[in-house]
Amino acid sequence: MKNATARRLLCALLALAPAARAAQKPRLEVQELELANGMRFLLLERHDAPSVAAGWVAHVGSANERPGITGLSHFFEHMMFKGSHVIGTRDIAADLALIEEQERLREQMRAEEALMRARLRRGELDDLQRPESWSERYRELARQFQALVERQRATIIKDQIDQIYTANGGEALNAFTTEDLTAYFVRLPKNRLELWAWMESDRLLNPVFREFYSERDVVFEERRLRTESTPLGRYDEAFAATFWEAHPYKWPVVGWASDIPAYTKAQADDYFRTYYAPNNLTGVLAGDFDAAAVRPLLERYFGRLPRGPQPPEVVTLEPRQLGEKRYRAEAETPPTVRAWWKAVPFVHRDRAAFTVLAGLLSGRTGRLYKGLVLERQLVNDADADVDLRKYAGIFSVELQVKDGQDPAAAEQALGEEVARLQAQPVPARELQKVKNQAKANAYRRLASPFFVMIQLLEYDGLGDWRFLDSYAEEVDAVTAEDVQRLAREYLTRENSTVGVFLRKAAAPGGGEQ
Amino acid sequence: MSVLAVVPLLLALQAHSPVPAASPAPIPAHPDQLRFAPIEFTPPRAADYRVALPNGLVVFVAEDRSLPLVNLTLLSRAGSYLEPAGKEGLAALTGSLMRRGGTRSLSADELDEKLDYLAAQVSTAIGPSSATASLNCLADNFDEALAVFVEILKSPRFQQDRLDLAREQELQELARRNDDSEDIEGREWDLLLEGPDHFTNRFVTAASLRAITRQDLLDFHRRSFHPAHMVVAVTGAFERAAVLKKLQAALAGWPGPAPQVPAVPAELGRSAAPGLYRVQKDVNQGRVSIGLPAVRRDHPDVYALEVMNEILGGSGFTSRITRRVRSDEGLAYSAGSRLSFGTWWPGSFRAAFQSKSQSVAWATQIVLEEIARIRESPVSAEELDTIKRSLVETFPSSFASPAQSMGIFAADEYTRRDPAWWRTYRERIQAVTAADVQRVARQHLDPRQLRILVVGAQAEIAQGDPGHPVRLESLAPGGRVEDLPLRDPLTMQPLAQP
Repeated sequence: MKNATARRLLCALLALAPAARAAQKPRLEVQELELANGMRFLLLERHDAPSVAAGWVAHVGSANERPGITGLSHFFEHMMFKGSHVIGTRDIAADLALIEEQERLREQMRAEEALMRARLRRGELDDLQRPESWSERYRELARQFQALVERQRATIIKDQIDQIYTANGGEALNAFTTEDLTAYFVRLPKNRLELWAWMESDRLLNPVFREFYSERDVVFEERRLRTESTPLGRYDEAFAATFWEAHPYKWPVVGWASDIPAYTKAQADDYFRTYYAPNNLTGVLAGDFDAAAVRPLLERYFGRLPRGPQPPEVVTLEPRQLGEKRYRAEAETPPTVRAWWKAVPFVHRDRAAFTVLAGLLSGRTGRLYKGLVLERQLVNDADADVDLRKYAGIFSVELQVKDGQDPAAAEQALGEEVARLQAQPVPARELQKVKNQAKANAYRRLASPFFVMIQLLEYDGLGDWRFLDSYAEEVDAVTAEDVQRLAREYLTRENSTVGVFLRKAAAPGGGEQ
Repeated sequence: MSVLAVVPLLLALQAHSPVPAASPAPIPAHPDQLRFAPIEFTPPRAADYRVALPNGLVVFVAEDRSLPLVNLTLLSRAGSYLEPAGKEGLAALTGSLMRRGGTRSLSADELDEKLDYLAAQVSTAIGPSSATASLNCLADNFDEALAVFVEILKSPRFQQDRLDLAREQELQELARRNDDSEDIEGREWDLLLEGPDHFTNRFVTAASLRAITRQDLLDFHRRSFHPAHMVVAVTGAFERAAVLKKLQAALAGWPGPAPQVPAVPAELGRSAAPGLYRVQKDVNQGRVSIGLPAVRRDHPDVYALEVMNEILGGSGFTSRITRRVRSDEGLAYSAGSRLSFGTWWPGSFRAAFQSKSQSVAWATQIVLEEIARIRESPVSAEELDTIKRSLVETFPSSFASPAQSMGIFAADEYTRRDPAWWRTYRERIQAVTAADVQRVARQHLDPRQLRILVVGAQAEIAQGDPGHPVRLESLAPGGRVEDLPLRDPLTMQPLAQP
């Protein structure tokens, strides 16, 4: 690198830590750079093994959706593995022509689907997913569509992204979607960094959303797998929808069952244009590479992506909750009490204090286990957690009630623990225990470059990757007064949503029919 | 403050965005045109890290100063195969209560408080074929944490009130056994493949849990942890010589002689006859497993078998089953196969997917077609090349950190793996041919020997998909179809079928 000024500024970043803390824990040497098109990169050299963990995050998730397209962010994540103008096809012209032809048929199918939804509203059908519900015309169109899909197989090279990475020693190729972000990543031998730059910039430059409709079915199977066929999946979804009033965190990341089969390719195209411009992306590399040498490579490959308009912001704020909300259900689960309170966004100045609050309540020496499991013997397990998202957060407690004990008594005991936190400051030693754990965990979370890469993607997606570095320091600054203030301000009855889950009685005959 | 400081930095980088002196290489039209400098990688050798202490303890030790932590894992020769009949659950309970039930000098509360204040993570467990313990702590606290760790190993208290609590917690866990179709599938699959008489299928019941006494824990602990039967892996920010000295001192003076430990059973029990097995569970997605017993890891075919399985269903989207069931037809989110090579007893081949009730039979048929195809015709040169390159290129990942390497060496020592395994692995994979793949598929994947397990809403599954009419029963190996009952979660006795 020729430019001395830039280099000095890079070094300056590494030395930003206040002197007193620097003695405790050296700064994580993450280098940050931004391309002319607005794409940012976080680079962390780690030379323990001859590989590089590489990923990028799009600052978009289910919170950016609206009713009717819920789950589209996650579905779109799947579509990003379908190839480009170069990857995944033997004949791009024929491929694109077939996709257009398929879309014309799909337009007719969508008109039929609208008629079937009208019949559903009139009570003439009960489940649009069952082929028995489909009109004769719809079945005919579906047959024609299937014929086009089979014709397209001659031009498609199946799952070629995965094949190329696999043949080049790629591991853990995957992606995930949350309410706030979508992350794509892989681990490669260190000599394959250019391959990564080629493959990722290519699918960002000219993606082709082929096999769109069979992938909708795959995502629906994913919904069945994670939500519909699990003991609590649908109840968790309903509970979250009860908790949030206005915020788009209301709907599940995977999307409502009605919306997944209704996505259109036009929606996906529009979504890509809106949210996948380089100025809404951050790349992360962690592993065995030379940060100075890699910069021209990143500029050459990712620099070719055209900057886009600034994506629309999520402006909806969750209103202040006015009264306690309750949810009660019988399911295949041990008796459980769940309490959620509205907390703060990830970048909020109280984020570390919330972490401490959860730490004080959790674990075998936490107040919930000691008070409710060991002393009062009302529950078999108890845990507290904090989930701070980009726009709002959740503080949660879950109690697994002993068989034969009254869930109301467990809930009452939880209330008393909360009242104690509100009434008295936490003793110094108890607070120090949580801080000691934060300090050790701050190192443990750095042990694997791959995991470091994942955390940088997540934290950047939430608005501040530096939390990976500053975590222990921020926790160290939390006072007993902070904890008491949070308990008083947030852990109130009117700010809570309480769920009580009871075990569903077995059907007569002992079966599960 | 640091957040503010970043802004001018970014502006500066943009403003001074350097133009590389040499004109950059053009971007090739296809990634096939990229060329990569070779990476030389030689795996570390176990012998370079192995130390045998005078008391019989074997230690694999490596300094790692990347973080101020110490990580220690320990294996001791034991397992649930040593549980007396009628006390099923004793091994697991002994393992977990060593950590949770106090020590000679510390009550359970004091032990928990001490370790939590030190921010030391300690766990103990006794699994099917090994007893394990681990310690992770800040290097500054290592001496203090090690003293507590060794006391847990040497003289656990097994406080009665913690035993009573653990038993009650476990009873509530047993009651969940039929809640999730995945749990039912896993349990019944093990029974079909390994047989009801294999020790891993001796079920914990409410009665067996209630029969376990504190004395049982004391006795089972005594026979499970002894330095003469231990292998330790330790890495972190320390001096190698100093840490060895500490370990030797800490583990000296062990109470009692080294116990005699019988060998882990080397054979499976009586596997179920090939056929289709169905379990009723009212969910809208059926879970399907298709497979048969396989071989131990010392079998000469393991390299060709590994390549064969990767091509068939083991390498995600690159493999045939995933491609057809998921990508082509959209019938499942997860579809593939896994081939495990047993360490002590034979492992298994298992293809699995989950699909909506109506498409269970169709997807099952596709998997069976793919099993038949890999037996009937040779795999393509491209498939073979992709998988061999993958296995060779990803080989260094097993040794990505000193902790991983020492962990591998300790496990190999414990299981007595041939030390040549890692040295020759890549060349053995490279030597596999398409003919080898076909031969092992024919030899080890006999369709007549398959067991198919389907857990789900059987009436809807039987109806199938009108567009792809295939009846599940028609796919039953040997024509055998059996409906398995759910089991009472506390007794594991069959429930009356609805």
